[in-house]
Parts: sequence; structure tokens; C-alpha cells
Amino acid sequence: MATAGALSLSLALTACSSSTKSTGTKSGPIKIGISLSLTGDFSADGKAFQQGYQLWANAINASGGLLGRQVTLDIVNDASSPVQVATNYQKLISVDHADLTFGPFSTLLTKAASQVVARYGYAFVEGAGGGPSVFTSGLHNVYDVSLPVANNLVSSAKWLAAMPAATRPKTAAYATEDDPFTAPQLDAARAVLEAAGVKTVYNKVYPPETTDYGPIAAGMISAKADVVLVGTLLPDVTAFIKQFVQQKYNPKAFIATAGPDQGAQFIKNVGANHTQGIMVPNEWYPTVTTPGNAELIAAYLKAYGGTAQDVSSDVPEGYAVGEVTAQAVKAIGSLDQTKLNAELHSGTFTSVQGPVQFDATGQNIKAFAYAFQWQNGALVPYQPDAGQLLVPAPPATTAILYPKPVW
Amino acid sequence: MSTELAKAVVDGVLTGGVYALMAAGLTLIFGVMEIINIAQGILVVLGAYLSYVLQTHLGLDPFLGLFITVPVMFFVGVGIEWGFVRRLKQQNRTALSILVTFAVAIVIEGILTQFFSGDLRSLHAWYVDRSLHLLGFYLPYIYLLGFALAVAGLAALQVFLYRTRTGYSIRASMQNRAGAQLVGIDINRVSAITFGIGAAVTAAGGMVFGATTTFNPNSGYDLISRLLVIVVLGGLGSIGGALIAAVVALVIEDVTAVLWSPVWASTMFFAVLIVVLIVRPNGLFGRQAARAQ
Amino acid sequence: MNDPLATPLWRGARVGTAGLALIAAVAFPFVFTNPAVTSVAMFTLLFVGSSSAWNLFSGYSGYMALGNAVFFGSGAYFLANVAKDLHLKGGIGIFALVPLAGLFAGLVGVPVGWLALRTRRHTFVVVTISIFFVFQLLAYNLHSLTNGSGGMQLPMPPWLADTYNNYFYAAALVVAVVAIALSWAVRRSRFGLDLLAIRDDEDRARGLGVRTERVKLAAFALTGFITGMCGAITAYYLGSIYPPFVFDALFDVTIALMAFLGGLGTVTGPVVGALLLEPMQQYLTLRFSNAGISLILFGCLFLLVIRFLPEGVVPSLARLLRHVLRTRGEPQAGPGDPPPYDSPADHSPAAREVPR
Repeated sequence: MATAGALSLSLALTACSSSTKSTGTKSGPIKIGISLSLTGDFSADGKAFQQGYQLWANAINASGGLLGRQVTLDIVNDASSPVQVATNYQKLISVDHADLTFGPFSTLLTKAASQVVARYGYAFVEGAGGGPSVFTSGLHNVYDVSLPVANNLVSSAKWLAAMPAATRPKTAAYATEDDPFTAPQLDAARAVLEAAGVKTVYNKVYPPETTDYGPIAAGMISAKADVVLVGTLLPDVTAFIKQFVQQKYNPKAFIATAGPDQGAQFIKNVGANHTQGIMVPNEWYPTVTTPGNAELIAAYLKAYGGTAQDVSSDVPEGYAVGEVTAQAVKAIGSLDQTKLNAELHSGTFTSVQGPVQFDATGQNIKAFAYAFQWQNGALVPYQPDAGQLLVPAPPATTAILYPKPVW
Repeated sequence: MSTELAKAVVDGVLTGGVYALMAAGLTLIFGVMEIINIAQGILVVLGAYLSYVLQTHLGLDPFLGLFITVPVMFFVGVGIEWGFVRRLKQQNRTALSILVTFAVAIVIEGILTQFFSGDLRSLHAWYVDRSLHLLGFYLPYIYLLGFALAVAGLAALQVFLYRTRTGYSIRASMQNRAGAQLVGIDINRVSAITFGIGAAVTAAGGMVFGATTTFNPNSGYDLISRLLVIVVLGGLGSIGGALIAAVVALVIEDVTAVLWSPVWASTMFFAVLIVVLIVRPNGLFGRQAARAQ
Repeated sequence: MNDPLATPLWRGARVGTAGLALIAAVAFPFVFTNPAVTSVAMFTLLFVGSSSAWNLFSGYSGYMALGNAVFFGSGAYFLANVAKDLHLKGGIGIFALVPLAGLFAGLVGVPVGWLALRTRRHTFVVVTISIFFVFQLLAYNLHSLTNGSGGMQLPMPPWLADTYNNYFYAAALVVAVVAIALSWAVRRSRFGLDLLAIRDDEDRARGLGVRTERVKLAAFALTGFITGMCGAITAYYLGSIYPPFVFDALFDVTIALMAFLGGLGTVTGPVVGALLLEPMQQYLTLRFSNAGISLILFGCLFLLVIRFLPEGVVPSLARLLRHVLRTRGEPQAGPGDPPPYDSPADHSPAAREVPR
């Protein structure tokens, strides 16, 4: 019986190594080990991330590669499971001999993976593990090129707080899924608004397993808050919008942590006529004028079709991971992980998401959140001016809609 | 607060109807065949995807689409029974049926993932966005229609069971499998039809599910546990019991969310079952026979 | 009827195989030093433990529990809390707490079992699922004990990457051996016979003087003890725990599938099931990254096993072997031989027909 196990294990082993073509020799391609959630709970984001990584690899290979060598992505599936993600990075590093490692999707999996990668002394650049728990684990090899999630809603909250007294909301309702991605954002936004005297009239947390959002929506509706801030992903924000539409409740502002950023999927789920005025924070948008972004969009449309609005914000996150790593590798001129870690800690970088600089815990201190508003079927970016009010970010020119038009 | 409470009760009743529609097939299949159909959750999702395909490719209204999806799901059900469930040996059938229907669920999930990816979808229609303004409540048409569909569907099922020859055979098999066989009822045929009807009813449940929430191939897992709770709460095999149990459980859940906190709402949903079973081990409307092993 | 597998020769062969298996398991990390392999091997051993534990209660008694992640999660959170409150540093010492975590999970099993075991058969299945969800939701909601969805971090061991897995492998092996030994000992004891009597006909067993409530509860708590230790080791290995990962519905189903695959109610069945399934599952996920193919393959494989080996791998092979021996006319067991307690086919579901 143990022989049967040993047999299947060694089968798994040989199969693993047979899929390995080179073992990181100096002349061959540079191999980048990545575990992504291609199935399971995070599969939608996992696949978008895969596109971002792939587009970066295509771009750098077209421009002559990294250190003169081509780049290949060794992507394995973790099925959204932390057990699998731990096994995967061990395989990527010790069996496939990956030269570099990029992060998986989500704070939860990044946390589990970062510990494994740290054991090997590898630098772990990632774009989707921005939850506070990633940065409090005491590791010094994790770098999140994206915005630390807790700060996502701060620009929007400061905008509401900075309004002249006549239009400033008097009351606000908050509801968030109990999730390490959403809950910290709502806490930060509420702190800003309460400090500015905006009264909290509803504030509830609900578990991720919730299937009936009716009572929570009803609570916000009967609280009659001027503005609504929700800590959501796509399914729950869809449910809230449906309920608000059905109940004809029109807050002056509706701001969600995530979901409305999902472009085409969001429109498909809530219907194009119900998106007007809905706001969502993000640090990137398809027409942003950061270096390389226009090329990324062009490459995306060529490879996957659709329109620029369809590009999930996971794509530039993945792309930026590649960009930052490549700049650090070029700066040190080698793949030495010790030097790479030192460079990532001290250097400054650019990405399609904007400038990147890491603090000691690996958070990107240069990142800030744009506020986006759906207007006529497209997301329009806004950025804070000197007085914290939101003004159109180029190339947008239309003023922000406040109050939000009725459904 | 009191309007909120009233709203929660109304919401719970309407959502309960939708859950009953999804759970009816599960309890019917159990009643006749004494097996737990773990694939019920994914069958709901499959029903939703069928409606989705008809809507996006043929522009068919989800309710009209039922004329196609219900028969299709009937044959899916018959196929599952014939292909897998029938072949189980009598010994240890309960346990093996859980295993085999779980395997079927995995295969269906894999096929759906292959065709539709993990993206979230939802169904659209004019009645999804609008609501009826009545007595100060906004009642979404989709929930009203879903509830009506549930009551109509479950009533039709009862009529079928009590007024038709096949229905007699099914009920006879529910009461005593061996006895039914002795009086010349073709148990295999009855089982296949039962499984087919169970899946067919689920097509309707899946359509309403797809119109009220977003779904992807993964959605079956959260569903099956809730459907099982409803079915056991109502008493395994009792269709009326499932309707009442669904309404009771959902009302308690929604009221908890309003009076206490949404974080405890789901907990209450499951806790209700545990509490009820301490008092009534056969559920609210279960047959005594379930106690005897 | 004489059992050709009950001769001293075959019994000796079984003991020998078990010994060889243990030696192979101990030698494994020295032969396969690759961390990617030892990691899979460690998780496999933890599943050997969890699945054997599941079988010890559910396989023997016929009560299908689908909520054993309650124990797994309880053990994991116990370890995380103790390590946090005592400000423990990562190292071998943490493993000393693993049996305590098991005891804690076993204690959790007492009230849970008291509640769940008031019901039978299908209802019991659903009640265990419900209790599982209540526990998962409690892990989200009891912030002071679990830090909610933010998760908890465990101390980080100082070991190097090359040998890191070996410590956990050793701990997992000990738990797996304890689980197998317990399930073997129970199987041969009066306690085990009581459980089997409950599976065959609970009311009659009670009539014959078996204290059914007490026997069931004891087995349930014993299951909790082993499963809780597996949860604690997993938590320590992963370094951080979150409610949906340690209270995982898939775990509930997986350990039951393993026992089924290998052979329900046999000592070796869950072991074989776990050894086959866990590496295969990880391999399929790795190999077929794209879309639903791994799910389809996995499901179809199960359908095939149920179709052709409905009793599980071990009883089916034993039957085949027995058939071969009979037709070859090998010498049958002597009349003086004691009845074969530990021959797998004898406790297979087929051999003990459940009256319905």
C-alpha cells in the first residue's frame, strides 16, 4: 500500500520534471514561476492575472528579453487553495528551478505563498496581495506593486468630507463583506467621514457565505443615508444595486470597493442602464497616461479582443509586477536574489499603474487611488485636487456626477 | 425598525419560495429513492445556465425559456438516474448515492467551467429590475413571479402525485419500495421518472436563482448545503414541508439580520435545523419511519 | 466458511507488508529529498490520519459524518491561540502542543456528537453539515478567538528550505501511525464490535445490551482527537489560517471519499484511499491547469471506481485474491484458526448486509 503511494508520488514527480525543459542554465530562457487560481473561487481574477503576466512576457521578449535572455512563464494552477499554493511554489523553485517568482491572486493565497518563497530567499513581487496581513507577517521579501488595499477608499471619503456644507452628506451607510480585502477599506473611509462630522446611520458586516442580501439592503434603505459605501466584490454589489433599483432608493453617492471595476462583467450583471453614477476606487484605468499603458492596451486588444473598457484591473496589476521586477533585475544586472531584494527595497520604479517605491514591509508608498465613476457606460477617472475635491483625471473632462442620477 | 422588520418577513417569505422551488426535486428524489442527491446544487446552476444560453443566444425570455429548459432537465435527470444511480447495489446504497451524485456534480461543474469559465453571470428581464409598490413595500416582480412559480410548480407536483397513475406508482414506491415492486410497479421506471421530475422542477428553480443572484459553476456548493437543511427541516420526502421549512428558515435568517446582525443571520439558518431536530428528530413534517434504521 | 486469506502464511504476509510500509514511509524523505515531493507526501500522511479517523467512527458505525472539518479547524485554531497567548517562538517545541490540540478537538466532539447523534442516517449527514457551517461562521464571527476573516498567524519555524518539510513529515507520520494503530486496535476490541453492531442494526444492538449512545460518542470524540491533530499540524505548516481554509467543506467530503475509495470500514481502506487520492488530486490540479478538465477527469474517475469497485479498492482486491486462491485449490485454513477479525473483506459493506 505504501508502495502504491510512493509509486503515484514518483509518477507525479517524473511528470513534474518531464514538463521542465531547462533548469535555469545561464544561456536558456529566464523562467518565472507563478501559481495562479485558474479554477475555484478566484478563477476569474486568476485568469485575468494570467493575461497581464503573459502580455508583459510578450512585450519584454519582443524587445529583446531580460538581460538578453528570453522570458518564459511557468504557470501552475492552485485551484484557489492555500495547501496547493504552498506545494506549487516549492515545486516551482525546487523542481522547475524558476529564476524568479511572481505572486498568486488574493491576499489569502499571497500570505500562504510568501512564507514558502521566503524560505528559499527569493524576492516575491506580487500585485494582488495588498491586505494588511501580508505586511504584518515580518517577512522582508514580499513587494506589492499595487496600492495597499486599506487606502483604496480614502480619496473618495476625503472628497465627500471636503464638500461645502450645503452639499456635504449628513449621513452615511456602510456595509461590508467580512473579508480581509474589503473590511479594512470601509474602516479607513468611515474614520475619515466620521471625523468630518458625517453621521453613521448604518454599519454592518456580513459573512462571505451570505446568499440573501435583502435584509442588509433593506437596512441601508430604511436608514435613508445620504451616501452609501459598500465593501463588496461583484456578486454582492450586484445584489445591492438590484435591490436599490427595485426599491427606488437613490443615495447621493454609491461607492463600492470592488465589482464596478469589472468592466464588461459588471455591465452584464447589473445592466448598462443601472451603472450611471456608481463609483469605485482603483489605481489604474485603461486610458491612464502612465508610461507603457497605451502599449499594454493595444497588446491586450490584439491578443484577446474586446474593448479597452473590458480590460480588468487585474491585467495591469500582473503587468506591473513584471515591469518592476524587470527594472530591478536590469539595475543589478543579474538574477541574484539577495541583490534583487536589496534593489527592490531601495530603488524606485515605474509601472503602468504609476510610480512604485517600497517601504520596509513591501507596501507601495507611491501609489494612490483614483476615484472612478460610471458615466454613460464607461468608467471616468477622477483625482483629488489641492482641496481634496475630485476633478477629472486626463483625458477625462466631464465633471463628477453628484448627486448620483436616479436609477 | 418595524417597517424594516415587516420588510424582512416579506423578503424571507418570497426568497423562501425560490428556495423551495430549488429544493423540491431534492426532497422528491429522497422520498422515492431514499438517496441524497448531492448534485442538486449543480443542477440548479445548470438550469440557470440553460436559461442564460437561451437568453443570450436566442433572446428568449427566461420564463418562456422554461418550455425548453424543463424538458431538457427532465432528460438530464433521467440520464443521471439511468447512468449512475440505478447501477448502485442495494447494500450501502445511502452512502454510495452520496458519493455517486457528488461525482456527477463534479463532472457537471467541470463541463460548465469548460464552456462558461468562472465568470459570474446573471439573467435579465424587465421583471428583474422593477417592483410592485404595495402597502408601502416595493415587491420585486421577479420574487413575486418566482414565488408564484414555486407555489404553482409544487401544486402541480402534488396533483401529479395524487391524481395520475404514475403519481400513484411514485407514492407507492415512497411508502414501501419492496411492496410496490410486489404489486407490479416497475421501480426502475418510477425511479427514472422521479429523478427526471426532480431535475425538471429544478430547471424552474435555477431560472429564478439565476435572475435573483449572480452565479458561476462554483455556486452549487453554497446551495446544496442550504437546500439539504431546508429539506431535512421540512422532513425528508415532504414537498409541502420543504416549502414551509424554506419560508420559516429564510424568515428567521432575514429577521436575525435586521434585529441582530447580518453576521449571525447565516448562523441562525443552520442553527434552526439543529434546534428543531433536537425536539423533532424527523423534521417538521417527516415520516416516523425515518427514525427506524 | 473458511477464508483462504486467514491462514498463518497470509497473516504473516500482512504483518510483513505493514512493516515494510512503515519502513518505506520512514525512508521516504531520505530517498525523495525534493521539497515539492515531501510537501505532497506530508499532506498525504495527514489525509491518511484524517481519513482513518473518519473511518473509525463513520466507517465502523455506519453514521456518515460530513462535518469533520469542525475538528480540523478546532485543532488549528487551538494551536494558533496557544502559540499566540504564550508568545511561543517557532521550533520543534510547537509540535508538543499538537496532542493538546487533538484533545481540545476531541472535547469539542463531545457536545457536537451529543447533538448530532440524536439523529440517524440521512438526517445525521445533514446535521453534521449544518454543525460544520455553524463552526465556520463562528470562526468568522468570534473575533476575539479567531481574529475573524483577518486570519491568525502562527510562529514561523527557523528551518531551512531543504529540510523544512521533514519536521512536518515526521509529525504527520506519527499522527498517521497513531490513527492507523487506533483504528486497528478499535477494530479488534469489544468497542469495535459494538460499533459494527450499531452499523448492522442499532436497535437490536441496544436490545442486546450495547450502550449505543456512549459507544457512538466515544468513537466520535476519538475521531475528533486525531483530526484535530491533523488540523494543528496543517496550521503550523501553512503559517497562517483563515476560517474558510481550516473549516473547509471540501475537507469534509475528501476524507470520506478516501475511505470509500479504499474500502469503507476496513483498517487499510482509508490509508490506501488517501495514498491514491491526495497525490492524484494535487497532480491533476498541477497538470491540467486549464479550465474544467481536471474536474471532469476527477469526477469520471470516481464514477468508474464506484461502477467497477463499489466496495472500494481493498475489499475488491481481497475478493479477487481470495477467488484466485480458491480456484487454485490452495490449502484452506485449519478448523482451529480463530475467526479472521482483520481480514478486510469481512468488514466490507457487502459482507455485512445492512437490513433496510
